[in-house]
Amino acid sequence: MFGKNYSINMKASYFFLFFSYFIINGIAYSFYENMEFKGEISLSGRYFPSEPAYSGQKHNNFSIAIKPEIFKDFDEQSSLIFTPFIRLDSADPNRSKGDIREFLYTKYGDDWEASIGIGQVFWGITESKNLVDIINQFDEVEDPNNKTKLGQPLGNITLIRDVGYFEFYLLPYFRERPTPGKKGRLRTDPHFLKSDAKFEGGSQWTPEVAFRWLNTYGEIDISSHLFLGYAKQPSIDLRIIDGVTNYGAAYQRIRQIGGTIQKTAGPTLYKLELIGRDGQRDSKLRRTEFLASVIGLEHTMYRVLGDNGDLGFILEYNFDSRRSRSGELLQDDLFVATKFSLNDNLNTEISLSSIFDLDGDGQTYQLDFGKRINDSLTYNIKGAVYQNGRSGSTLYILRQDSWLELEMKYYF
Amino acid sequence: MKQNINKFSIIAFCIFLLTCFAALAESPEEKGLRLAIEGDKRDEGFQDTTSQMKMKLRNAQGEESIREFYSKTLEVLEDGDKSIFIFEHPRDVSGTAVLTFTHKQGPDDQWLYLPALKRVKRISSDNKTGSFVGSEFAYEDLSSQEIEKYTYKWIQDIPCPGKEEITCFNSEDYPVDKSSGYTKRVIWTDYDEFRVWKIEFYDRKESLLKTLVFSDYKLYLDKYWRSHFLHMVNHNTAKETEIIIESIKFQSGLKDSDFNRQALKRVR
Repeated sequence: MFGKNYSINMKASYFFLFFSYFIINGIAYSFYENMEFKGEISLSGRYFPSEPAYSGQKHNNFSIAIKPEIFKDFDEQSSLIFTPFIRLDSADPNRSKGDIREFLYTKYGDDWEASIGIGQVFWGITESKNLVDIINQFDEVEDPNNKTKLGQPLGNITLIRDVGYFEFYLLPYFRERPTPGKKGRLRTDPHFLKSDAKFEGGSQWTPEVAFRWLNTYGEIDISSHLFLGYAKQPSIDLRIIDGVTNYGAAYQRIRQIGGTIQKTAGPTLYKLELIGRDGQRDSKLRRTEFLASVIGLEHTMYRVLGDNGDLGFILEYNFDSRRSRSGELLQDDLFVATKFSLNDNLNTEISLSSIFDLDGDGQTYQLDFGKRINDSLTYNIKGAVYQNGRSGSTLYILRQDSWLELEMKYYF
Repeated sequence: MKQNINKFSIIAFCIFLLTCFAALAESPEEKGLRLAIEGDKRDEGFQDTTSQMKMKLRNAQGEESIREFYSKTLEVLEDGDKSIFIFEHPRDVSGTAVLTFTHKQGPDDQWLYLPALKRVKRISSDNKTGSFVGSEFAYEDLSSQEIEKYTYKWIQDIPCPGKEEITCFNSEDYPVDKSSGYTKRVIWTDYDEFRVWKIEFYDRKESLLKTLVFSDYKLYLDKYWRSHFLHMVNHNTAKETEIIIESIKFQSGLKDSDFNRQALKRVR
């Protein structure tokens, strides 16, 4: 059931298991006190109206996933969180997998916090994409919109000073990006091989480091960061096996500097995410320096729908100086979204968004509808339509893969 | 001797007159403000509170749903208070938290924590008119009440609603911030302990929108009165919301460092 990737992940996890064992052991006497257990189980089905474009792809899929969360407060000043995740998928063995989303021990004082283990780190501020999120690998098989992240082994120290928050990260182990397998939809052709990724300029255990500063000045929130490590996006490394061309993943060491600015002006949020990076190979496999940014605004009108409903608009422009050679879906694209939050008993939310490529390279339309059924049950309808991708473009790869998903989530 | 008495009565009479003038000179607006400041003073020095709450939402058909959350508040004397709200129930929003820095002047600062993404998002505090988790309470009904956020007017002294044996002053206040959902609030507060017993909310069209009734007051630290049962009725929709305060803890030693982005990510 679990591929090789998983056993490598497990190897990394053992180190932290071992470490955590000592922490746990030391305070075993009170271990079950102040312990919280909760989680979610989801059932979902994805429907693809069009025939698969590539050989070996299965049509639709069903899957079940479970994500329990165990949280333990040791005393006033430290805690441990453990969040494993397992998904079983009917179509794609690559999507049937386990991951430790979090296994993090945190200790803190008045003006500092330190954590070690496996964690999730969110730095972004925009909605279409978060360029600055460089700590965690994205879980691409989980969610094609790259909103879900793999757990990342890390050590972190945060210092809280009058002049801002100073965060230091050490990442001892690199997580490869999970990609759909031969039977999966929403993939490249050929699909990426699961094993033998290349690490240019190091190994999977070559440490990565990051530093980030952030602060708030009235209605302005600013952050900036520095990152030395691997690019999270693999470049294509062609491998011929038995006369058949395959895609292998290659990861390059990069240097990245970046930042975010948000101005909160009444009901309108103005946002900018910006990065400069060098060392990464583009889609033509050349190592380049590039700049990428997401700039935009989010405006909300309160209580304009029914009794209490809010209506939100998001407009964001995604730019990447590599343009068509970036390999990213959003490189010269306008993202426009409308969000209806009814603020009713059932927390009904509808989000409609579209992405227009300004180079004339197609459009994407997305739908996300969510509603509560009762206190521990919700459902969600999501979908995406990929249109008019030019031959050879990222969108063209997905031309047959427009999808609609129904998901039910049970919270315990 | 007789002259002396006369002199004394003249002085006394003058003082009496002056006092009358002073009292007469206090306009209803000044009296309203004076009483509001007095009420605010009575609550000074509480330092911090931690409250566990339950909310019962009832629609016009009588269907109920329950929300549970807890909040931490830190008293800030030189500016508005700081607070964190943590949602516990329903389960799909469990762990979601909001950090608010109230300001005496200008908009409040607010950050939302989304536990599924581990994301801290700076949000607009302009949503003050919006419904709090689908209830009949707006965000502004639940935020820290600062003197500077309203102008005041005393109306009359009358027996307290629901507690006729004590005297209340009936007053109106008017939000300074034009983005408030109200044009005025009519408030009944008792003279004995400055407890609020009833508030009527008037919407932008100046018609009665909601009525909030407070009861089950308990005394803490011999000084601070807190209502443990709040009942809001929306007259437009016939929907109701009850807030049941299950517990309040005063002065548990919360610090400024319990109210920042880092602490927001740690709350459970």
